[in-house]
Amino acid sequence: MSIVGKSITRIDAEEKVTGATRYGGDLYEKGMLHVKVLRAEHAFAEIVSIDTSAALALPGVCGVYTAKDVGGTNRHGLIRRDQPVLADTMVRYKGDPVAIVVAENDDVAREALRLIQVEYKPLKPIHTFEEALAPDAPKLHPEGNLMGGKRIRKGDAERALREECEIVVEDTIETQTVDHAFLDLESGCALYDGDMLTIWVSGQWVHEERRLVALALGLPVEKVRIIQPATGGAFGGREDLSIQCFVGLAALKHPGHKVYLRYSRAESMAARHKRHALRIHYTMGAKRDGRLVAAKVTVWSDEGAYASTGIAVMRKASSHCTGPYRVPHVWADVYGVHTNNNPTGAMRGFGAAQLAIAYEGMLDRLAQELGMDRVEIRRRNVLRHGEPITTNQIITEATAGECLDRALLQFAKGIDPSVGDDLAAAQRVWESRSYATRAPWLRRGYGVSVVCFGLGYGDAFPDAARARVRFNERNELEVYTGAVEVGQGLLTMVVQVAAEALGIEPERVRVFAADTHLTPEAGSSSATRQTYFTGSAVKLACDELRERLLDVAETYFGVHPFEIKISNGILTKVGDSGKRMEIDELLSEARRRGVSLETQALFKPRTIRERDEDGLSPRAFVTYLFGSHICQVLVDTETGEVRIERHIAAHDVGKAINPELVIGQIQGGVTQGIGMALMEEVIYGSDGRILNAGFTDYILPSVRDVPNIEAVIVEHEDPTGPFGAHGVGEPPLIGATPAVLGAIHDAIGVPIRRIPATPERVWRTIMQAKAEGKWQDVDPRWERDVKR
Amino acid sequence: MKLHVRINGEARELEIAPGAVLGDVLRQLGLTGTKMGCREGHCGSCMVLVNGKPMNSCLLLAAKVEGAEITTIEGLGDVRNPHPIQEAFVEAGAVQCGFCTPGMIISTKALLDNEPHPSLERVREALSGNLCRCTGYAKIFDAVRIAEHKLAKASGNGKSTRRPHRP
Ligand code: FES
Ligand code: FES
Repeated sequence: MSIVGKSITRIDAEEKVTGATRYGGDLYEKGMLHVKVLRAEHAFAEIVSIDTSAALALPGVCGVYTAKDVGGTNRHGLIRRDQPVLADTMVRYKGDPVAIVVAENDDVAREALRLIQVEYKPLKPIHTFEEALAPDAPKLHPEGNLMGGKRIRKGDAERALREECEIVVEDTIETQTVDHAFLDLESGCALYDGDMLTIWVSGQWVHEERRLVALALGLPVEKVRIIQPATGGAFGGREDLSIQCFVGLAALKHPGHKVYLRYSRAESMAARHKRHALRIHYTMGAKRDGRLVAAKVTVWSDEGAYASTGIAVMRKASSHCTGPYRVPHVWADVYGVHTNNNPTGAMRGFGAAQLAIAYEGMLDRLAQELGMDRVEIRRRNVLRHGEPITTNQIITEATAGECLDRALLQFAKGIDPSVGDDLAAAQRVWESRSYATRAPWLRRGYGVSVVCFGLGYGDAFPDAARARVRFNERNELEVYTGAVEVGQGLLTMVVQVAAEALGIEPERVRVFAADTHLTPEAGSSSATRQTYFTGSAVKLACDELRERLLDVAETYFGVHPFEIKISNGILTKVGDSGKRMEIDELLSEARRRGVSLETQALFKPRTIRERDEDGLSPRAFVTYLFGSHICQVLVDTETGEVRIERHIAAHDVGKAINPELVIGQIQGGVTQGIGMALMEEVIYGSDGRILNAGFTDYILPSVRDVPNIEAVIVEHEDPTGPFGAHGVGEPPLIGATPAVLGAIHDAIGVPIRRIPATPERVWRTIMQAKAEGKWQDVDPRWERDVKR
Repeated sequence: MKLHVRINGEARELEIAPGAVLGDVLRQLGLTGTKMGCREGHCGSCMVLVNGKPMNSCLLLAAKVEGAEITTIEGLGDVRNPHPIQEAFVEAGAVQCGFCTPGMIISTKALLDNEPHPSLERVREALSGNLCRCTGYAKIFDAVRIAEHKLAKASGNGKSTRRPHRP
């Protein structure tokens, strides 16, 4: 392959480094009307009345709109349409929108917000699972505060734990609410020309956004057009609607005027859905030799005020609750609970990330109890080819163990480069890893994780990508895809797949993406699915075009098409370099013959629903991805501070279409995983307000917090993906957090039960260990290695 | 009020509101390469050079820069004629969503203008005010090193200064 597998320069890089790229916030033009959103004063309250007259009277105000002005269902939501565009009877979290103002300028709009009088009947906000499930708790939604659940019943976990297991560990792990914190704040504009409503706002699935906006605002779907501007990160945070309906409604009310809206960081954090905070109670049982026998898992999930993608997140949590390990008996219950916190939905890792923290944490506890090495216990339990995963789906190519080996090799090479590819030597380096530090209160630790991830939506949800390709008059290949580029490099992937499939130069490919009126639907840029799905659709469309070109070429060369090679835009006869033809010439010939130079394709592999009664399915996901991390930390036991010294991440990506982009995804995902492990946490006040809605107090990993992340690409070509590729987006985050936490556990000898492991929490955990007599002032491994 | 500044080499007289911050003034001039990720002085995406010093333009009152020389990302180079630092970010693959990139490049320029061959710790210090949510920073370090070599070559003292840039 000449283009797939090469790190060509991403096609949008030059524009981005020169500041020429236009993101949603850059679309502002003089004369646009300004839109601002009034948000709830209470986290939980009934709305008694709204008086907008004073705001409307303010000079410069063009309109003030509330729920009664919304023409459609006034509801949106990716799975259940339960979230109001503008709250009508009730507000359910502090970010709930109540009214919008349209004004000539920003200052007037802001002033007008203050003049809107809303009378509320406040209810006591619900923040915890206990409060939500108390018998007398007020209900957020008519169905009650229990939003739903998912389960796994495989084998007989209860009995196995009682009768078969020789060792059982049990613990409760709590994960936090996380913000996506993409840097490019929600912003964009809209125009209604009397016929068509056009919205320029970044999302993750333009066609779904079009459907949701049309329903909520009461327009026919064809009368809404969504165009994605350049997008500064998404990570799941743009999957739910953000400002689309606000600018859409404002535009509808002011035909012929472009309207503009941009969130502040505080508003972005207050409004947007978050990563689910989970409470995971995990019981894991094994034989004395470390072989896993049973897992019993109960998960409580903070769904916040609205459903968002919560049901799907719960499903991902249950279906990934034992990760890439062979566990014959699994019992899992996942419950989603509504609270007056922000709605929770998609974020990179999507439920699988939180469960990885639990199953990896439990394996570390088991290893500790058994006195077994943490690599060894994983080796004994990772799936082998042809074995069933949690949901009983058979994994034909289970490469988790290989990823672990590759991570180990990379770890060892960093200490002794002569290790090369010698796994036994790497194992020796691992076993003699050093715990020596400058002082006994500085403790080193090593964490290991092995993770899996089911790619795509799965569970029989219609999951499809379409693509259309055509050669234009200038003989450029135009590729049309509804998929959105959010920073991950999708457009470049598309160029490489198309160029490779057709044997043309990448420069000849032009991609048109994410415009509902120009491009065919491709599903969301989420679930690590676009390389696999859109890559496949583009390849299928190009394959057909190639066939047509070969039919034409056949008569020119007078040989069977199998003997014709197209590469770099030149056709040659295999073994006869004298015979060649430029693709331009071939395209002219095809046109002369009336051959259509446009094709389209659909890629839609089916999955099978997980049964309600036991959560099992022979094909819950189209394919599984595997990865393994090793993390080395230094913990200052006097301050609780953790410094990451090394982090290695090996991922089987099938085939790296662009290795540089793959490495970028791995390094970026690991960094977010480090953020989740050590510092990121949304904190709510008792009134339901986010107390750290800004970068002053919501801490993101900076250049000081991450080491040079060592990414290892493992390539086991997936015959079902384009050129063997499957995907990479989410697994690096999923692997990172448990590896960091495992390393801290190794360093201080006790696990962190509630994350993030901030210095304060680490310090408190150490204090508690001291109080319980589980602490030695000097780690014997330190003493041993310092002498070495 | 009036503001007199040089922006990317061009003398400008601007009418500004007294409370306006420099970043907004620049963006209103169409220089939207300067981004705003937080307006709190924490993300660095709004970084510009003020008399050669990197400053967060989201917090800086425009009135305070009277008479100053301002350089934004657009002042470094454009797609046809990029600056070596911009080329370096492309070559290193240091760009994902690209939202942090202008600010990263401005910080890098400020650093390399003063210290053509900075130590690893100095690079880290110089970039510590620039957040990136996408890349994990490793390739940004690579970009700084590539830029260092490009600039050294361009300024004629192309002597080998290669040194390991990460531990
Ligand atoms: S916008 Fe200025 S530092 Fe973030
Ligand atoms: S590339 Fe997206 S924030 Fe840096």
